[in-house]
Amino acid sequence: MAKPKISSDWMGGCAGCHMSLLDIDERIIKLVELADLRATPITDLKQPDESGVDVGILEGSITNTANEEVALRMRERCKILVALGDCAVFGGVPAMRNFFSIDETLKRGYIETESTDAEGKIPDDPELCTQTKVRSVNEVVPVDLFVPGCPPDPDVIFYVLSELAQGRMPDLKGDKINWH
Amino acid sequence: MVNITINGKSIQAPEGYTVLKAATENGIHIPTLCDHPELAPYGGCRLCLVEVDGFRTPQPSCTLPISNNMVIRTETPALHESRKFVLGLIFSERNHFCPYCQQSGGDCELQNAAYDEGMTHWPLQPGWKSFPVDASHPYIILEHNRCILCRRCVRACGELVGNFTLGVEERGANSMLVADLGTPLGESSCVSCGTCVQVCPTGALIDRWSAYRGREEESTSQKTICTACSVGCGLEVFTRDNNIVKVYGNWDSSINKGVICDKGRFEPMIEKRERIVTPIVKQDGKSKAATWENALATIATKWSKDDASALVSTKLPAETLSMIKNLVGNDFVSTIEPTGAALAKVSSEMKKPFEGKLSDLKQSDCILLVDANLADDHQVAGFITKRLIPNGTHLIIVDSETNPFENYADVVLTTAKGGEAALMQTIAEGKGRDNTAKAIEILTHAVQPVIVFGNCANEDAIKAAIKVAEKYHGVVLGTLGGANSLLTTVMGMEKPINVTKAKSVLVALGDDEPNQKLIQQLDKVPFKVVIAAYHSQLTAQADVVLPTGMWAEETGHFINLDGHVQEAVASLRMPEQVKSSSEAVKVIADKLGIKVNGDEWKKELTIHQSITEIVTA
Repeated sequence: MAKPKISSDWMGGCAGCHMSLLDIDERIIKLVELADLRATPITDLKQPDESGVDVGILEGSITNTANEEVALRMRERCKILVALGDCAVFGGVPAMRNFFSIDETLKRGYIETESTDAEGKIPDDPELCTQTKVRSVNEVVPVDLFVPGCPPDPDVIFYVLSELAQGRMPDLKGDKINWH
Repeated sequence: MVNITINGKSIQAPEGYTVLKAATENGIHIPTLCDHPELAPYGGCRLCLVEVDGFRTPQPSCTLPISNNMVIRTETPALHESRKFVLGLIFSERNHFCPYCQQSGGDCELQNAAYDEGMTHWPLQPGWKSFPVDASHPYIILEHNRCILCRRCVRACGELVGNFTLGVEERGANSMLVADLGTPLGESSCVSCGTCVQVCPTGALIDRWSAYRGREEESTSQKTICTACSVGCGLEVFTRDNNIVKVYGNWDSSINKGVICDKGRFEPMIEKRERIVTPIVKQDGKSKAATWENALATIATKWSKDDASALVSTKLPAETLSMIKNLVGNDFVSTIEPTGAALAKVSSEMKKPFEGKLSDLKQSDCILLVDANLADDHQVAGFITKRLIPNGTHLIIVDSETNPFENYADVVLTTAKGGEAALMQTIAEGKGRDNTAKAIEILTHAVQPVIVFGNCANEDAIKAAIKVAEKYHGVVLGTLGGANSLLTTVMGMEKPINVTKAKSVLVALGDDEPNQKLIQQLDKVPFKVVIAAYHSQLTAQADVVLPTGMWAEETGHFINLDGHVQEAVASLRMPEQVKSSSEAVKVIADKLGIKVNGDEWKKELTIHQSITEIVTA
């Protein structure tokens, strides 16, 4: 039997969940033995195979139309979609901006920050994505497995990935649940 | 006893128990957020629903009384679904973002309940409505985004503290926790006791001091007692890296049952006095840091044994007081503020203990306050008094000053200073006009009246209070002064300060603050040794200063106002050069060749007449 294909991508997050994934250290070799790691932000392939993958992992919340595209593409190309980390599961730190209007946050970010000089300008190139309300992944596409944590513990990530790689659905309970 | 079955297990529990209480006492965990063992059942959060045979729908176990042969299930799949649903609704109502909350990771009852149900996410996302944060209070932050409207704080404020500051305005989704009629907490009638913070299941009410300084599991907890006044409340002190993280009231203490006041909970946080960390010896008019050896050598040369006196703080442990008594002799020890002199005199005339207990106060249906200000000092006794008033307990005030409890009183009898005795005498005789007659009327119908007299009461007033108690079948209760005032009274230390002839004086302050009068009285004493934790005007004048522990560093015994012997246990280590007060006295005594015994207070208790029965744990 061919090894299950795993792909991941990141959206509105800090990359910390992928860093925590790398923190599984030498166990990553075990993982590669069990599964075929396809497109991830830390490998060369940039998009999950068009032919589909078995497990798709998303880090970060959906904060703009580009993130939406990433989420929809991953959902379309994977069998099991995993929301990894508090941003993907709940909205996380980026969701703090939902308490303000998008105009207010853009103005604060591009014009009012202390390090911005008089030339500060909100980017308005039509090719750029547009900002949206910050949403958790399951507000946009159905999620099969939620792995909360800010970031999730490497041991939990390894448990989840090794279970999925061996065709089992991980059962997160007890010490393995941590919303931080 | 009532027989019930929970999850197939037969259980016996006393009649009147709720299902939740019966389950909890038998080691069966039922999740709950609004219930609290010290508060009346409320039935608000619906997390504790259980299935009961014969009931059509799940029932809240926190409000359901047990009845014979009740069959209860607490762990069915349907109940777990219902709990997840309830938690989902609670999470969606406000903004519970665990990564930004200091309760997260063990201290949050809401998060723990979600973990227990195996929730990896929220079934419903929040509505992104922003709720205000009220940071107007010096000690407490009210973070509405994390409030689950369980009303524990509201009930604690009313039921335990009797203050009724917190309440809920509006209904349904618009419900908001408010102080008074919507004033910022810092400007409200809040008395800063912090009981609301202690009962809050989430991070909605947090104390500025402890927030983000470590979770409970990262802290060391030490049960001890508060030495800020004579009530002797039980405390639980949480420390981390030899720093106090937070102070909680000890729920298991029979005296205060978890309730403490700002003096115990928050005032240590604003301690601004400078700590004394080495012995100090005055040389050529200048105070200089010294070693213990040097300091003790100075004492050995200059101390005149035959003309020595000692002044003690009532915040010192029994062991230290005993040793000081040995050091200078009984006749030469006074407290630094001997406000209990009148009581000591009355006590010596009485043949047996004549004061009641705080437990009498807790059950009283008529409380008479004589010169007792329970809003500023002995606040927990004040909370006990105030929380009884909504239940119909009458309050009568006899005072020469404006008493802060006047608004709660049925009758306020104002007298001229010193007129309390005469007024009380009139009440004891059962004759009087106008308001006095009204007070007599209330006392006549009272079943368990308690007469609380304050520390300033004079001898005649105390005697009159005893007469009033006799006449109306009640008890008297003195608030006394400091944490060990009862012991200083029993040991004969409550007598006027007389240091005019003393050539050497030992002032054992502990972490107490000397008043101006004391400093003046000591001005002419040729040789002064001060044992203190903090720098003060008095330590600046002293010839030798020996550094000692503050309240959280001292271990020793205290006898509270109603005679309970309790042990304070140190929760912090002392700085390197600092010795506990008893150790400091011991090394002085050793140097002077005087034998001291820190256990002698126990013997004194058996020899001398106490104002109230002594209760040893």
